[in-house]
Amino acid sequence: MEKKEILENLTTAIIEGNKDMARENAQNALTAEIDPLEAVDQGLSKGMKVVGAQFESGECFLPELLMAADTFGTAMEIIKPTIEARQQQVNKEGTVLIATVKGDVHNIGKNIVGTVLKTNGFEVVDIGIDQSTLNIIEAAQKYNVDFIGLSSLMTTTMPNQKEIIEVLKEMGLREKFFVLVGGGPVTQKWADEIGADGYGDTAIDAVNVAKYLLTNNK
Amino acid sequence: MLDIYERAVKGPIMTEKDFDMKVFLPNLKEVVQKYNVRYEKDNPVPEDDAAADILFEAAVEFMARVGVYCQGTNRIMQFSEDEIRQVLSEAPGKCFPGEGKDAGELGLRKPDDPKLPWFHCGTGIAFSSESSMTNMVEGCASIAEINSISFPAIEYIRGLPSVGQTPAEFYAAIRTINIGMQAIQRAGRPGLPVLNLISTATTSQSAIAASAPQFGCRPTDGWLCGTVAEFKLNFGVMTKIAYLKSSGCLVGAETAPILGGFCGGPDGTAVASTAYIIMGLLVHNANYQLHFPVHFKFSCTTTRDVIWVNSVSAQAASRNIPMPVIWDPYCAAGPNTRMFMYETAAYLLSVVASGGPAFETSHPAKGVMVDGFTPMEAKWNVEMGKAASKMKRPQANELVKRLLEKYESDIDNPPRGNTYQECYDVTTGKPDESYVKLYNEVKEELVGMGIPLE
Repeated sequence: MEKKEILENLTTAIIEGNKDMARENAQNALTAEIDPLEAVDQGLSKGMKVVGAQFESGECFLPELLMAADTFGTAMEIIKPTIEARQQQVNKEGTVLIATVKGDVHNIGKNIVGTVLKTNGFEVVDIGIDQSTLNIIEAAQKYNVDFIGLSSLMTTTMPNQKEIIEVLKEMGLREKFFVLVGGGPVTQKWADEIGADGYGDTAIDAVNVAKYLLTNNK
Repeated sequence: MLDIYERAVKGPIMTEKDFDMKVFLPNLKEVVQKYNVRYEKDNPVPEDDAAADILFEAAVEFMARVGVYCQGTNRIMQFSEDEIRQVLSEAPGKCFPGEGKDAGELGLRKPDDPKLPWFHCGTGIAFSSESSMTNMVEGCASIAEINSISFPAIEYIRGLPSVGQTPAEFYAAIRTINIGMQAIQRAGRPGLPVLNLISTATTSQSAIAASAPQFGCRPTDGWLCGTVAEFKLNFGVMTKIAYLKSSGCLVGAETAPILGGFCGGPDGTAVASTAYIIMGLLVHNANYQLHFPVHFKFSCTTTRDVIWVNSVSAQAASRNIPMPVIWDPYCAAGPNTRMFMYETAAYLLSVVASGGPAFETSHPAKGVMVDGFTPMEAKWNVEMGKAASKMKRPQANELVKRLLEKYESDIDNPPRGNTYQECYDVTTGKPDESYVKLYNEVKEELVGMGIPLE
């Protein structure tokens, strides 16, 4: 099988959420001695970008996005050992820690943002719902992330987004991380008021804001 | 609730992610295919009783296959089809909120039913000051047709933010009740039922604590008990339900399937939406339900696909599930805009003609604008609700299509509109002339389209 065909098959496997196809072609890529980073970049990631664009335009929904991400993971299980053996690194845009703040148990919005960030090349560390301020800051330091993404779906938990920014300042860590906020009642006005670095109305907004901040180092 | 709790400690154990990916998603996909549930883009309000009954059967099978995930034990609470049908057959299909002359029967309606729906008045989500909130609740409670009311949430108590899981939340919850109850008394409707208790108390411990009768709540009011999307409950909510049931209070199940989330597209969301209404009776043992399928991207309930979901699941429920559902609209556009009035009209024509027994007045600006509600929106909802009850589904379908043409291209970028202070005289509590002019213009336009507004 030719290189072009293998890469196209990897892309198709992601778009269709076909794990068997992904496994087979990940193995084919290694057998054909395709650079594993090229297999990821020109095959798997290409498919993720297609699915991400379809999700944004409303052509597909969260289940398809999750299936694509799951299929990506399946192929990576086969390809990753070779990448590590060669001491190579997959290109990534940056690392984002995401969490729903203390007192809030909503997770779907956070999950959608996390998945869309992944499809756009970010590494995502999702520490879950109902996370205290110190848990979030500790995890951000532990994983050495570039961004802290904070979700809140209730007006009574939005102040916890503000608290995290204030505690980051108290601990002298504010300049170390970009802080992004989002969630149903959250607005740009609120983000400005509490001194967040970015706000996204939709998941793709979060991606665009994160890329802008990285590029412009703001 | 102990029976439900027992299932939560004895059901099969699995991670939440496995429940989402290995139970919820594949079963929803299979059920949608098995029952051939298909979105009709060109018929947002279909007239098909057989399809409504098939959707109900799909929802029963889905509920029996999937169950409800307990986040407290990481186990699935399971129910057989026989148990589900038994619960549905025993449900009363009505409850009696309110006191004295303000009490009423919140019951059921059928598709194409000329009976007036129950009018539940939302009064906005959040206000910047206690005086604004008082004016709003009093103004809305003064609308004679209103059967029940919501109290907005207070964001601050003595200058401190009302943060969940803190004493401030508890004090703010009590203050909400004080202000709201005084406002409905001033409107001359002291017995008017409050069906969104307790808006400011987002945690169960604050809700339970502030529900003590000395703070002003009455058992004939209704408490909202939420779910976590999709098909998940936590012990906080289960404990709140146990407390409310033991106290003889009215329990309202609060459910909001997300179109575009785990439910996928409109087909899957229609099945989940119908199954959620079963869940309200089966798991919450609720007296009524506040239900709002919502679009994942636009955070409103007035897109074409969500309107179809509302219509078909309202038809399936009103023909088969004896649950008094209050359908809850969220509009993209803000107050004092033409688009808000179109969105509200489309939503109410759809839900009321489809047999929805009750609706909440529509939330402008997706419910996130502080001071983003006025009594004029409540008045428009009442007028439209009455008109919609005179329409059959085929008429509603044609009108909804024409209304969608007027606003759906702007869903992504809706007009903000005005806050209460911007379009009302806060001293006299009256709308400014431009709002009255806009209101009358749109009303005249819709009468011209054939909507029987009085």
